[in-house]
Amino acid sequence: MYQFSPATERILRMREIIRERIVRYDSERARIVTESNKRNEHVPPMIKRARLLYDLCEQMTILVEDTELIVGNKGPHFFSSPGFPEWGNTDWVVDDVVNRGWELRDGIYYNPPADGIKYCISKEDHEYLSSIMPYWKERKMGTMIDAWKPEGYEELAALEISQYVPKGGMSLFGLPAGHIICGYPKIINMGYGAIRKQAQDWIDEHRGNLMGDDVNKYMFYTAVVITCDGASLLARRYAAKCEEMAAACTEPGRKAELEKMAGGLAWLAENPARDFWEALQGVMLYQVLLQIFEKIPGPAIGRFDQYTWPYLKKDLEEGKLTMEQAQELVDAFFLKLNCYYGAGMPKLVDVTGVGNTYQNTTIGGVDPITGEDASNPVTYMVFETVGRLKMHDPTLVFRTHKGTPDKLWECAIATSKMVGGLPLYYNDDVVIPCMMNEVGYSLEDARNYGCIGCQEIVGSGNDYPMPNGAYPPHATLYWAAIFDMAMNDGLNPLNGVQASMHTGYLYEMNSIEEVRAAVEKMGTYLMRLYISINNYAESLGPFFAPEPLLSMSIEGCMESGKDCTAGGAKYNSFGGTATGLATLADSLATIKYMCFDKKICTTRELYDAYMANWEGHELLRQRILKEVPHFGNNDPYVDEEMAWCVDMYYRICKQLYSTRSKVYKAGLYGSADHIVQGHYTWATPDGRKYPDAIADAASPAQSRDKKGPIQVFNSSNCYDHTKFLGGIALNLRMHPSVLSNDEGIAKLRDMTKAYFANGGMEVQYNVVDTDTLRAAQADPEQYRDLVVRIAGYSAYFVELGRDLQDDIIARNENRI
Amino acid sequence: MSEQSQIKGKIYDIQGFSVHDGPGIRTTVFLKGCPLRCPWCHSPESQSFLTQMSYTATRCIGTELCGECLRVCPAQAVEQGKEEVNPADKSVLHKAVWHRDRCLQCAACTQVCFPEALSLCGKDYTVDEVADILRADYAYFSGSDGGVTVSGGEPLSQIDFTEALLKVVHGEGVHTAVDTTGFVPQEAIRRVLPYTDLFLYDLKHMDSAEHERITGVPNELIHENARFIARSGGKMQIRVPVIPTYNDSEENIRRVAEFCVELGDAVTVVQLLPFHHFGSAKYERMQMYDPIPMTLESPSDETMERYRALMESYGLPAIIH
Repeated sequence: MYQFSPATERILRMREIIRERIVRYDSERARIVTESNKRNEHVPPMIKRARLLYDLCEQMTILVEDTELIVGNKGPHFFSSPGFPEWGNTDWVVDDVVNRGWELRDGIYYNPPADGIKYCISKEDHEYLSSIMPYWKERKMGTMIDAWKPEGYEELAALEISQYVPKGGMSLFGLPAGHIICGYPKIINMGYGAIRKQAQDWIDEHRGNLMGDDVNKYMFYTAVVITCDGASLLARRYAAKCEEMAAACTEPGRKAELEKMAGGLAWLAENPARDFWEALQGVMLYQVLLQIFEKIPGPAIGRFDQYTWPYLKKDLEEGKLTMEQAQELVDAFFLKLNCYYGAGMPKLVDVTGVGNTYQNTTIGGVDPITGEDASNPVTYMVFETVGRLKMHDPTLVFRTHKGTPDKLWECAIATSKMVGGLPLYYNDDVVIPCMMNEVGYSLEDARNYGCIGCQEIVGSGNDYPMPNGAYPPHATLYWAAIFDMAMNDGLNPLNGVQASMHTGYLYEMNSIEEVRAAVEKMGTYLMRLYISINNYAESLGPFFAPEPLLSMSIEGCMESGKDCTAGGAKYNSFGGTATGLATLADSLATIKYMCFDKKICTTRELYDAYMANWEGHELLRQRILKEVPHFGNNDPYVDEEMAWCVDMYYRICKQLYSTRSKVYKAGLYGSADHIVQGHYTWATPDGRKYPDAIADAASPAQSRDKKGPIQVFNSSNCYDHTKFLGGIALNLRMHPSVLSNDEGIAKLRDMTKAYFANGGMEVQYNVVDTDTLRAAQADPEQYRDLVVRIAGYSAYFVELGRDLQDDIIARNENRI
Repeated sequence: MSEQSQIKGKIYDIQGFSVHDGPGIRTTVFLKGCPLRCPWCHSPESQSFLTQMSYTATRCIGTELCGECLRVCPAQAVEQGKEEVNPADKSVLHKAVWHRDRCLQCAACTQVCFPEALSLCGKDYTVDEVADILRADYAYFSGSDGGVTVSGGEPLSQIDFTEALLKVVHGEGVHTAVDTTGFVPQEAIRRVLPYTDLFLYDLKHMDSAEHERITGVPNELIHENARFIARSGGKMQIRVPVIPTYNDSEENIRRVAEFCVELGDAVTVVQLLPFHHFGSAKYERMQMYDPIPMTLESPSDETMERYRALMESYGLPAIIH
């Protein structure tokens, strides 16, 4: 069995600081951006944004901690959460402190202890953020976009079938799209100096001769030059800080380390990395830029093992580094990533998780040129880090294929045993053809895919993928609620709001075909409406929020002089997800079985029962739970309905496109949306009560799978996974006894491989038993390191809300 | 449709991804009925050859919402129980209580109990029906040396069914295992030998008198059958339940090892199974007496490891669990 080795003392110390984190909201960035914006008020956004980045690089506090080997901070505190007033992101914290009465101690406000995450903000910072609210009120990114909205938005807001289109609506441009893998290899292999030169050369060539589209290119390249200058400046400031600390350091070992860091950072200001440490620090420096520039969701790390290994290989050959030293650097790198968690609205945190930074990291997989296994020592090192530090974040994606070595499988499963849900097991043999068919990636680029966010599949450094669309994210159209509306002539039974689309009532329908047609009609209407709103925001976004910082590393943008938001990347697409279609499939199967095939009750009786949230109809509900086949048991009766549901969803997706992209990617994943959706979705015919959670992602409904993992897999393979480039998440909970010895580990590996050989795209395992979860609920302190996976992220179990905890417990526990 | 494919067996469970019943990923078919009565049996529902009632109180939703069983029971074997508070929503309820001693086993209540609190354990399946269920798992066997295990109870007690099922599955190229007590007529072993790749063969106590005192039957026939399998070229994974105070003496473990050495190449591995209390909830459901006191502790990891080493000192490959 794979054994994890202990981490060094300072790594453990740093881990402990992070585990005890209190996220400190501060006003430093907000102050810099407010002043910068005042100076540049009427400058075109492309230039204004680049100048903002430069100002941040010039003025942000530089921190280097005693425990740190890899540096980069988001603000003046170790756990700073900067404010992004230009995105309207500071309003909630200003209000929350007042409305929920944060406790003031020694000049610092602390959020209520019942919250899963600990926040604080100083009195001064809070006062400053309050004071700038009037300035930003009419100057936000979304100010103009929100001032007018296409017809239909009000209806969508009234219906409340997405938490991002709540009653009264919310900003259509409240966040950048993010969810991307930037060109980290380009950054570390080329350096800011060379990128800057490329831009400057074009500017020099075209000086005083801007014809046609040249003007846009000119502004883009100018923004890149300013951005590169900012990046170089930031690196030099870190170098100076390290040098200053080295001078003051009396411990020779640490002094030498700080000197090495200072030299490396000064070099990285303009040049490509020379060794493994510089490669990691170079990636981190770019990551810090992304993190301070804007509140970017899901800036994924990409194929970390692939682009860092050449540097380590060289260091090892030259005897510059030992494997142990390299492992400590990898530990330090991933710990540092964990520091970039930003405070979020409590309501949003319910969905996105506590402490989840969405810097999804991809390892393993095949070589883009040869198609052979590309795993290397860094692949193992990442597992070692995640396993031995019991690290719930970032999400780790393990790409597997037919040639993945058994030893690596063993290492991955040992990690799964330690850390709930990590890694996610992905199947190259399904994903690669999927990328080529759905978006038209070349074979080489498809082989180089990585995952972002929860688990969406994207290209590496050549793609502007927008897998969740523009803000608001498309992961949040509630399909079970759409189903309820379709059975109710377009009325949402939860709030009594009527859509302008009419579909008839369940009790007027005489066959399952009529029921399906009503669902497809309502789904098509709402998806088109929702994406219309997206397309409106997406079409204006490139003007207000161009991304020169992202674009300069993404293939296609520097070549074309076009920003990635405007379609400059080599590949372009957008998409969303339909989470919890199993609840739909089970509902359809229930109607078919109870009303049309077995005629146990009429459609009217079934309708009345679930409209009453099953009050007074418990026996009927119990009969449905017992008799009606449910998805996840390899029963063709209901698997056929599931296949219809996913095909229907895919059919609708194929009708959607935007100005930038012709491809809308369908996905079957979700973060923890299924739990929130439960609160927005009235009871459903499958026996689910309001407000119970709907099924998660692509998994069977909670506890409805009774026949073990193989039948879940067989059911899952009832539809073609190669259509769902958005990604698929199949959650399985295994009893730890399954993995009690080497044989068990081999069996889990072989089962996963067999699932993949049969066409499965993805699976993620929670290895934990119900007794342990209940004990953790009773005694959180004893189980503070217990990590579980919800759907789109892993988290410390004891930090989850009670309904999320109960959702994990409700899942079927697969034992022997 | 051949006659053989219509033979019926009484089955109480078919379990996929059953990782501890032989090599690789296996699906195990559990047959009902056993000639032995081992006190540590963790599947008390497997003992009787008849279909039986079982009652899982936790599943009952209460007589307020349902109470159908009270209405249909002809023998007043189901009664309203004591007042309880539902921990989920704090509502007061009275669950049904089933009395095995009054039950006529007519199963009328199981027809109306949708939450499956009252249910039947044991169902007749034809060979064809079982084979169809197993085929859904075939794709998961090949990569892992896995296959189908026929277990019990004592599967060879339903020899016609077991032979026919093994013949079909083995004929389709699937690895087969039979989990047996060995306490069956030699004829039964002879009939399944051609279609059985591996026997999971239990040795519970080496002293015949002790064996009989504990399990109700002596062990001579068991040993004879084991020798017969070895002689006939069959393979055996020897399974030794390690039950403190019953059979966990070093002497007994040594005698097991000596016997395995005698069986020679036929023994692929010795599997030492530490005692656990997993079965106690099942005794409750069946309203059967659990002969093992709850105070009996599982053997320690050190003990198990010591016995594994002991087995290996005899040149026998050994695994725990």
